[in-house]
Amino acid sequence: MIRVNNRDEVDWREGLTVSVLLDRLGYTYPHIVVTVDGQVVYEEEYDRRVIPDGANVRLIHLIAGG
Amino acid sequence: MKVLAFYPDRCVGCHICEEVCSQTWFKVTDRDKSRIRIQEHDDGSISALYCVQKGDCIDVCPVNALTRNKQGVVLLREKQCVGCLSCVGFCPYLAMIYHPDQSQPFKCVACGNCVDECPAGALEIVEVETPSAPGPQA
Amino acid sequence: MAEKTLSPRRVLAELTYDAPSIKRGYAGQTLYVNLSDNTIAARPVTNLMKEKFIGGRGFDLYLLWHGVDDDTRWDDPENEIVISSGPCGGTTQYPGAGKSIAAAISPLTGVPIDSNAGGHFGPYLKFAGWDAIEVQGKAEQEVIVFVDAPAGRITIEEVPADAPTDTHVLGKWILEHYAESESDRQQMSFVSAGRGSEHSRMGCLNFSLYDRRRQDLRYKQAGRGGIGTVLRDKKVKALVVRTFPIAGNLNAPADLGLLQETGAEMHQEVHDYDPVQNRMRSRGTPYLVQIMDDYDLLPVHNFKFGTHPDTPKINGEVWEARLTQGLPDGCWYGCTVACAHAVDGYVVRSGPYKGQAVIVDGPEYETVAGVGSNCGIFEPDAILEINFYCDTYGIDTISFGTAMAFAMECYEAGILDEAKTGGLELTFGSADDAIEVLHQMARGDEFGRIFGMGIRGMQDYFVEHYGADAQFVRDIGMQAKGLEYSEYMTKESLAQQGGYGLTNKGPQHDEAWLIFMDMVNNELPTFEDKAEALHYFPMWRTWFGLCGFCKLPWNDVVHPKNKLSPEPQKIMHHVENYQKIYEGVTGTAVTLDDIITMSERVYNFQRVFNIRLGYGLRQHDAIPYRSAGPVTAEEYESRAERYDDQLREWLGLDPAQMSLEEKMAAHRQYRTERYQKLIDAVYARRGWSNDGVPTLEKLRQLGMDLPEVVAVVEKHL
Repeated sequence: MIRVNNRDEVDWREGLTVSVLLDRLGYTYPHIVVTVDGQVVYEEEYDRRVIPDGANVRLIHLIAGG
Repeated sequence: MKVLAFYPDRCVGCHICEEVCSQTWFKVTDRDKSRIRIQEHDDGSISALYCVQKGDCIDVCPVNALTRNKQGVVLLREKQCVGCLSCVGFCPYLAMIYHPDQSQPFKCVACGNCVDECPAGALEIVEVETPSAPGPQA
Repeated sequence: MAEKTLSPRRVLAELTYDAPSIKRGYAGQTLYVNLSDNTIAARPVTNLMKEKFIGGRGFDLYLLWHGVDDDTRWDDPENEIVISSGPCGGTTQYPGAGKSIAAAISPLTGVPIDSNAGGHFGPYLKFAGWDAIEVQGKAEQEVIVFVDAPAGRITIEEVPADAPTDTHVLGKWILEHYAESESDRQQMSFVSAGRGSEHSRMGCLNFSLYDRRRQDLRYKQAGRGGIGTVLRDKKVKALVVRTFPIAGNLNAPADLGLLQETGAEMHQEVHDYDPVQNRMRSRGTPYLVQIMDDYDLLPVHNFKFGTHPDTPKINGEVWEARLTQGLPDGCWYGCTVACAHAVDGYVVRSGPYKGQAVIVDGPEYETVAGVGSNCGIFEPDAILEINFYCDTYGIDTISFGTAMAFAMECYEAGILDEAKTGGLELTFGSADDAIEVLHQMARGDEFGRIFGMGIRGMQDYFVEHYGADAQFVRDIGMQAKGLEYSEYMTKESLAQQGGYGLTNKGPQHDEAWLIFMDMVNNELPTFEDKAEALHYFPMWRTWFGLCGFCKLPWNDVVHPKNKLSPEPQKIMHHVENYQKIYEGVTGTAVTLDDIITMSERVYNFQRVFNIRLGYGLRQHDAIPYRSAGPVTAEEYESRAERYDDQLREWLGLDPAQMSLEEKMAAHRQYRTERYQKLIDAVYARRGWSNDGVPTLEKLRQLGMDLPEVVAVVEKHL
């Protein structure tokens, strides 16, 4: 189990990457600040960066309307 | 079309081209007003920023102030220009220059004055094929 | 100007003047025009105005306050239309620095509305020597107000009664009669409405720009709150300005170099990151349509649902294919974010302009969501048709879309039927019948007249004449303070319920847009967090309207370094850019605290203005229940899992033991009380009393204890 945005409990699986997590949550917005246990993950690492079990993940959408 | 060419292996870093350029166009000796910028790097190498007349800027200008003349050189019509510097931010060669003394930016127009004065033969005016300009697509 | 241009025009009043040189973003005077007695006067910009009101929306409200009485209604001659850009407006070096802000007492709300637009009018007016124009009174015959800076002349001119009113034909008429040359066309801009403005309360203002690439006129809209209705009530066809040739230093900035450096860097950031972020340069704001649907936030069927299977038919990809590509579509010079796209050569399919090939400006996200998904219309051509006619008839697409969605739900609920609509079948998705309502609004007949009153007017009418259930129409009518909601779903974001409800002008998202921060990011878990956001963001966003800035370049493209910022939502590297532009123009350095204080002064002034006119108290910050929770069983069931979970989590109830009615009632009680608690927290943070009145202490602290302000507030404390 991992915790997303200090609220949502999400099932953890071996090899869970940032890309897979975003996909599973349906988070399609192109500009999200991703941190895993407080560390920023850049776009180019989304496919590689594996999230450990019990991680605290923040997915901050930088979207603020017109 | 006419375009300036730069040979870094020949350049000695004397910056005379910059002085000639600012004298030609602004009647002052001031690197910040030169349309060519010689850059010396920490590893000893030298590069130059100048316009290669590719013309990406023509399409980003909101007021048609940038045009290509018959020789293929991209020119800025200063009276049309509203000084927005869109062309500066969108030039992939960082070749559009601005200076706070005037609102319009400026660029190399391949006049060749610097070529004549370069003591190392590092600059040349050459002929290349004019790129086809991408226009608006419906 | 040649003689032929003068023939149809009769000068009723004239003022000659020498345009002053602009100093650091200010012309130093405002223009007062009274159409009842045909007076034209120059008024000085005082130090008090500059210090406490800055410009733009601040000048608008200051001038409007001193023009109207406590009991002025929207259609009284005393009501004014005020337009101002602000000191930074007209800056060409930085994206989005040419906004115009318009204000008037609104036909929809009865309180001041402020609405901003792109286009060239506000900056051109300043370059012509005027920081604002203030139009009061009512003309007897149709008039044009013409500010002609090169000629040094301002005139009120009677124009033939048969001169066109609808903007896209009026524009051609104005060019024909007022512009001699291509340079005149480039140096002119005007503000107009249309026939729809005459018969509805949701009239918009069109702000023209002459597009040098297309060599044609385009229009951006100050849509909200019915200012177009006020313009036509005053019998004004257009406010026209002709200014001097446009250049990059007309605003006479204090430090051109600072503007150039900041602007060039920002243009490069747009060049590098827009293609991988929101793609504003190719799609414009409709990029958001699919995103909102993906997150269950797109208004569908009068805000009942947040998603629809047909959304891909009207999403950003579709619009990218329809919008003309490869043009620098800024609505002011130098806007490289360039979201102001257009569809060229659209062939109109209905009404008086059927068969004409026209430019349709937009559509913007708000239009696609409002007249599209919210009305169940998933057909791009129908959206373009409505967009075109709304603009040329002078009707706000947001109010039209939200009001049409309300009418459609009323139709489906049996409150309306074909007999009452004159044969229109206004079910969700009925594009052609919705378009026919637009034509009726322009003609001022049939159902269009009732519809044109807006949602609040329709609610009263349906209850009184059709026996509609008052509670039901109140619950589903998405208006607050009389203004129709803009197009975001707020049911699952308490902060955004406040973002809409706790506004001065009514539910428009330009004050606060907190849905993702609150609902998705969970960055605002407590009432205090939400209250802080409902203080900071409205104040930050108000500042754009004081200075003449557009908000989009602040947040619609962002440098990756922002990821490392402690508060990425504030986009501090862009805040710093704005500080530099403000300093570069005015010569005055400002901290972020200064910025917030500048906004608080005007914001509190506007709140007190509302109170002065008999509104602006806690009761007026109420919101319809549709924006807070599920009104109907159908809505509850569409998100049953979520709502059942919430009953367990929030209230400790067991939904398995409850009927649907009980579950809905439990939600309603909880969600309604929660909004009241939010109000308590926000008022406390803003320095307002429990009834929503700015306290004397707060006003003193802001330096806004002006005698006229204190006199209003004292009656309520």
